[in-house]
Parts: sequence; C-alpha cells; structure tokens
Amino acid sequence: MKSKINFYLIEYAINALLRQRSKNIFIVVVFTLLTALLSSIFYITNSIKYELDSTVEALPQIIVQNMKAGRHYDINVDRVDDILSINGVSDATARVWGYYYFEHAGVYFTLVGVDQFETQYKESLAKIVKSFDFDANSSMVVGQGVQRSMEQNYYKEYLNFVKPDGSMKRVALGGVFDAQTTLESNDVIVMSKEDVREIFDMSQESATDIVVTVANPEEISTIASKIKLLNPNARVITNEDLRVSYQNIFNYKSGVFLALFIIALFTFFVIIYDKASGLSSEEKREIGILKAIGWRVEDVLKEKFYESAIVSVFAYVMGVMFALFFVYVLQAPLLREIFVGFSDLKPTFELPFIFDVQTLFLVFFLSVPIYVAATIIPSWRVATLDADEVIR
Amino acid sequence: MILSPEILTILILNAIFALFGTVAFVLSVRIFLKWDANATTKTQYALEKQSYLAATIVKYIFAIKVPLFLFFIFTLDKISNVLTGAMCGAGVVDATDYGNYLFVLKIINLYIFAYWIVLHNEDVKHENQPYTKLKFGFFIVAFFLFIGEIILEGIMFGAIDLEEMVSCCGTIYSSSAGSYMAQIFAIGNTTLVSIFYLNYLLITLFFFLKRRYLYSVANLLFIVISIVTLITFFGTYIYELPSHHCAFCYLQSDYYYVGYLIYALLFLGTFYGLVTGFIETDAKNRLRNYKISFAFNTLYVILLSLYPIIFYIKNGVWL
Amino acid sequence: MIQLRDVTKIYELNKNDSVTALADVNLDIKEGELVVLKGASGSGKSSILSIIAALSKPTSGEVLVDGKKISKLLDNFASVYRRDNIGFIFQKYNLVPTLSVRDNILLPLVPLNLEESVAQEKLNVVMKLFAIEHKESAIVKNLSGGEQQRVAIARANVNSPKIILADEPTANLDEKLSLAFIEILRELKSLGKTIVIATHDPLFFGLDFVDREIEVHNGKILL
Repeated sequence: MKSKINFYLIEYAINALLRQRSKNIFIVVVFTLLTALLSSIFYITNSIKYELDSTVEALPQIIVQNMKAGRHYDINVDRVDDILSINGVSDATARVWGYYYFEHAGVYFTLVGVDQFETQYKESLAKIVKSFDFDANSSMVVGQGVQRSMEQNYYKEYLNFVKPDGSMKRVALGGVFDAQTTLESNDVIVMSKEDVREIFDMSQESATDIVVTVANPEEISTIASKIKLLNPNARVITNEDLRVSYQNIFNYKSGVFLALFIIALFTFFVIIYDKASGLSSEEKREIGILKAIGWRVEDVLKEKFYESAIVSVFAYVMGVMFALFFVYVLQAPLLREIFVGFSDLKPTFELPFIFDVQTLFLVFFLSVPIYVAATIIPSWRVATLDADEVIR
Repeated sequence: MILSPEILTILILNAIFALFGTVAFVLSVRIFLKWDANATTKTQYALEKQSYLAATIVKYIFAIKVPLFLFFIFTLDKISNVLTGAMCGAGVVDATDYGNYLFVLKIINLYIFAYWIVLHNEDVKHENQPYTKLKFGFFIVAFFLFIGEIILEGIMFGAIDLEEMVSCCGTIYSSSAGSYMAQIFAIGNTTLVSIFYLNYLLITLFFFLKRRYLYSVANLLFIVISIVTLITFFGTYIYELPSHHCAFCYLQSDYYYVGYLIYALLFLGTFYGLVTGFIETDAKNRLRNYKISFAFNTLYVILLSLYPIIFYIKNGVWL
Repeated sequence: MIQLRDVTKIYELNKNDSVTALADVNLDIKEGELVVLKGASGSGKSSILSIIAALSKPTSGEVLVDGKKISKLLDNFASVYRRDNIGFIFQKYNLVPTLSVRDNILLPLVPLNLEESVAQEKLNVVMKLFAIEHKESAIVKNLSGGEQQRVAIARANVNSPKIILADEPTANLDEKLSLAFIEILRELKSLGKTIVIATHDPLFFGLDFVDREIEVHNGKILL
C-alpha cells in the first residue's frame, strides 16, 4: 500500500459526487449558507466584544448621577469636593452635557461642555481643547455627522440652538474634529461649559454628572460603594457595570440566535438524511456493480464517507470564507443590526478584524460532524444492498 | 449555568452521540444474543449487515471524540476566565463535585473506544470473525460508561455556578490540600520518581523479552505513576516553579502547548502497550504494537526527563 | 474447480410468496472448461452465476471453488474472493460512462490502493490483450459499442481472475458484435480461464470450443 490515504478512492468519490450534480450542488449551497450564517454571527460578536472592551477602556471609571423621583437629575457641583476627599480617588470632574434635539433633521446631538482650564477626563477631549480655541464668543467644534446634518439643513457657519424658554442662542462653527478621536464622535458637539449650561438652562452650580478617576483600577468597586454611602440618593455606575450590562444584552441576543440556529440545524439534518436516503435506481445499480466487481461493504462505506467529508468540509471552508468577506469587507449589512442596538454606539463604527481559531473550531464542530452523522445510516443502507438483486 | 456557544456545541454533539450510541447499543444486544457465524438464516445475514452499522457508528463517535476532547479542554480554559478564582482548566474541573470524575471517565472512555476499534479491526481480518460476540458484548458494557460520561458532562456544565468561588490549581495540587492529593505528596518525590523510572525499566525489560501480559500490566501501572510524577515532580520543572503542580497549565500557550504532546505520547504509548496484551493478533501486528508502544513511551520519558536535566544544566541546582 | 452440491435457492418476495430459483442443483466444472448454460429467462441460469460469484448465498447446499467453501462467506470475504477470482461480464456492460477507459478498467482495484506502477502494469496487460490501449484516456460514453464491449471485458480480466462469468452477454448486441464477442471468448479459453456463460442466444450453441452445453429449466439442470 502506497500511503494510508487512498487517492483512487477519493478521486472516485469526487467523480461520484459530480455525477449527481444537481443534488449535491443543492446540498453544498445550503450547507455553505448555514456555515456562513453561523460564522458571521460569531465573527460579529467577537468583533463587537473586542470593540466593546476597547470602548469600555475609554469610559469613565465611575459615573455619579443624581436621582430624583427615579429619574436622572442635575447634580450639585460641590459634591466633587466630597468625592475628592475619599482615599484612592485621583480625580473627580463635574461634567456638563446633554442631548439636544435638532428638529430639522430629527436627530439628537450630544452637547459636551468643556472647561479649558480643567484637566479633561478623556484624552480625546484634551486633544480638542488643545487644538481649538473656545473664546468668549460662543463657538463649537463638531463631529462629522453633525457637520453633515448641518449642511443638509443649510446651516454652514453657525447653528441656532433653541433654549428651553424659546429663545435662540447662536453658536459659531469653530471646527470639525476628525473621526479617529472617539467612537461616539459622530454626533458630538463640543463647546464651553457655560454655553451648554445656557442652552440647557442649567445653573452654575449644576452639572449633569460627575466622573471619577481612581488611582488603582482594582479599587473601583470599593470606592464606588463609598461614594454611594456618602450620597444615598445618587446612582453610582462603574465601568464594569456598563460592560456587564452591554454584555448581557449581547449574550442574550446571541443566545436567542443560537437557539434558532439549532432548529435550523435539526431541519438540515432531516433534509440531508432524506436526500441521502433517496437513492435513484441509477445509484443503486452503481453500488451493485461495485460490489459485483469486488468492492467490500467497507470499501463502499469508505467511499460514501469520503463523499460526505468532501461535501461538508468544502462547504465549511466556503462558508467560513464567505462569512469573512461578508462581515469584514461588506461590514455585515442587516445582520449587525441585530447586535448593535445601543443608542450610544453609533452604527457607523467599523467591525475590527478579529481572527479566532477557536471560532473556526466551533463552527466546524457545529457543522461537519452533524452532516456526516446524517449520512451514516443512509450510506450504510446503500453499502449493504444485495448486489445480486440489483443487477438483474 | 453558563450557556456559552462552546458548551452548547459540546452538548449538541453529545446528543448526537447519545442517539447513535443507543442505536449501536441496540444492535450490539441483538448481535450478542443471536450471532451464529455458521447459520445461513435470514436473521444471521441481517445481523451481519447490522454489525457494519454498529462498527461505523463506533468509529464515527471515536473520530469525533478525540478532537472534541481537545475542544473540551479549550472550553474549560475559556470558562476559567469567567469563573472567579480559576486561572486554568483545573479550577473549572474542581468547581463542581463532578468535574474530576468526568475527566477521568472521559479518559477511560478514550481508551475503551480505541480498544474496541483495534479489536474490531482484528476481528474482521478473519473469515469466521471470531471476536464478534466478544466485541459487541464489550460494547454493551462500554455503552453504559459512555452514556454515563454524557450525562455527567451535562450535569457538570449545568452545575457550574458563576457566583461561587473556586480554587486555583495552586490550592488543589498542594500538599496542604485535604484530599488524596496531600497523601500522594506525602510520599515524597524521590520515591515516586524512582518508581517511575523503575516502571520504565520494567517496560523496557518486558519489551525485549516479549512477555505480553507483563508488558501490558507494566503499561497500566505506568499510566498511573506517570501522571502522579508529572504532577508532583516533572511539572514543576516545566513551570520552573517548585509549587506549581497543575496538570492543566502546560496545555496553555505560555508553555507552547507542550501539555498536548506529553499527554498524546503517554496515551499512545500506554494504549498500544495495553493492546499487546489484550488483543489477540498475529505475530507481525503484535511486533508492530510493541514497537509503537515502546517508541512512544520512550519518547515520553525522554521528553519529561529533559526538563529537569536542562534546568539543572542551566541553573546548577535542582528545584 | 467449481462444484455445486445440492444447491437450492429460494427468494422470498414477501411473507407468503416465494420463488424457487434453483432446486437441488449439482454441477461440476473443471478448470479450463467453457460451459454454456442454456435456458429461457427465469430458468435459473443467472442464479447459478450469482452463486458461483458468491453474490448470493444458497438457501441450502454447498458451493466449492478450488476446494474452498464459498457459500457461507461473510460479505467481506465474499467480495475479496470475487475480486481475486471472478471476472464478471454483465449484460449491459455496466461501465461508468463519464469515466475514462482507464478508470473503468481499474475500478475493481480502487480499494486496494495499489502502487501506481503495479496498477499501470495490470492495466497495460489487459488493454493490449483486448486491443484498446490506444483509447486509454477516452471517456467511455464516446466509444463505439464494440470498444465499450472490450473495455467491459478488460475490466473483468484486470485482476487476472481464474473464472470468467458472463450473464447474457450478447442480449443487447447486434450480430457483428456478438460474433466479435465469441472470438474474444475463444481467446480467453486459450488463456486457460474457466468460463461459464448463461445465455439463450443460439449463436452460442454448437460452437467448437465450447466444452459443454447444460440446459437449465425451472431451477433444475437437465442432463
């Protein structure tokens, strides 16, 4: 024997597959689609998880919000000092920001207030403050999405904000920051804290929330509980909480999807079983001939197995590659909407390319063995046909 | 209960195994009861056909089981990231009462399935298929162990509680642990390692003398002593840390996945060692089994011995 | 060489219905003999061939080939026996039309995974013998009737079997091809093969190189 792998048999198997072209093409297509779908889901979730993790890094470690009547309310700025006095807190900043409804375009802009002379809590903001000048004349720096919205509504150099009392505040466009600064930069408008307070009618002592930076990340939860003790009516959110809540929604969606997938898989199993069992008299005759000229049952079984293996592995590879193309080149239109449902994560972020060997194995185990299993009994039935009766 | 995609995959495949395994079981019972190689009845012809199906199913299950076992280990590792306290698979295995039993059972089943396949291959070489009843009877017994494993696996995954803290391998494999581990450690490295090499010498001796049964028994003992010394002694040289006794950590990338190689060599060496004793075959095959077994066992011993030796050469002291 | 002893073959169609294809058949064929089994369709002559080829097992009785009992062989071994000892020529050739001549001829040997050179050697021998070497890579469906016939015969001979069995080999052929086939038979006989032909084609009757003509009727041999 040459080598353990019988190439003659493989060749014969490929030929046999081609002889039943339409049936096999159907199977390959269905199987490829299934694997592609499955792989896409995994790729998308992997990428989003990665993106999520990197985003969470950028999120403030602790956010303190004031709650009144179960709703989020302005917080008093002097709480900052209380928080700063806690051991382990390296910085606490009062944030002034909010959502402004731009009626013309029907979208919300995020207004972020900055104080030039403060240390910014986010590096991206620090960059903006450095490069642009917020002088006494109200001006703002906007994200690209905002600029687009403005242009579409014929606002080129300034924007008129409608204040809660009905009057207008004109803010000049000072610049546009580039897309690389943050994930959420698209609909963000940066201006001085004063201007934001004016637009939202907030007093000088009010802030939207307070962000706290902790010297030792391991201590975040301890400090969060201390802050909570000091401010019983406040809501204290750590970045871990945020991450967990995103993850949960995320896992829930994956779970639902996976459940649906299992049903699809089961259906697939049944279809394959049926297809494989439905032998034309042509096929039966062929097997009869093989046995008559000296093939053993094992040889026929082996050949049938090669057929299954070739079909399933081929479809698997095709499926995985199509999914790669679909997710990372086409950016998974439609499918990603299932997973990206958060208002904070804007849909225009790009899915980063994450290559995970384990995912490949996962998809493999969920597809190939199941296909092969579905063909075991039908293949056996064929292989044990009585050659005698078939040739007559 | 964690329901990650990995666990779901394992459970789905287990379901398929259970289904097909049961089919094979039913066939095995029929064949075991009614097989008569000399009969020319319709029943006998039907049984002959069915024996092919049973054999195919067993081969299929085994073929998937092996990579799935590796996948299982990967999964344990992955879960260890979300389980507080666990830093590698060891913690996850220890998280429930069932983990250890499951693991041992899985390994036993690997040996059993591999053995069945070798027995089957030998059986069909002969015109009168002399081992048919034996092999199917054996499968009937093996089936219960197999289903046991599947059920246990389901229970174990279901019982993993994310809220509960688990021990890391540092505590599990230490001499202060409350279980049998502590007693093993109490025996002392010098004794254990001596037994290990002595066992290997016995294997070598019986190999050259070609004493089948003694060789097999020596291999059986070798499985036990190898794993024990791996945990207590050789492992520490792989980790270069005298207190790190984990049996799982060297399966991780930090150690270049050497764990897989170690366990593979051990399995192959001892499995073929058992085959020489427990399978009747012709002289040529037997010789081949001897050689494969001895080769893998030797490689295993060499690989393991290299770690302490190289450590000594590099550092001038033992741990 | 081939011995049938009290062979009976009953086919069960369903629970109540059965067909007796052969009833207490006794037959002895010596090595190198060319025997023609005459009889109408359904007389049982095809069943005799099946039994000699171990394609079916007798309901009772024994079959010995070269001293070896083949009637009770398990499927595996029956197939191996067939592969090594029998060359079967079918009524409709039963070639794979989309494969080449070479692939068709080597088909019985595929499971053996022979060395390329060994397989090629066997191939060359039979292709030469039956004059189709010039068509080695041709696809079978593109060949003429006569060429296909020779491919079928080549395939039956590729593993140098001792026994050639032919079941109604000329049923679908015109006279010219039938005569060509008979000439090939003569060739095979001269090679020392034991040949058994089941046919009701009168062209076979009274041929000079046929050793015996046996009449089969209703599952029994008429002497």
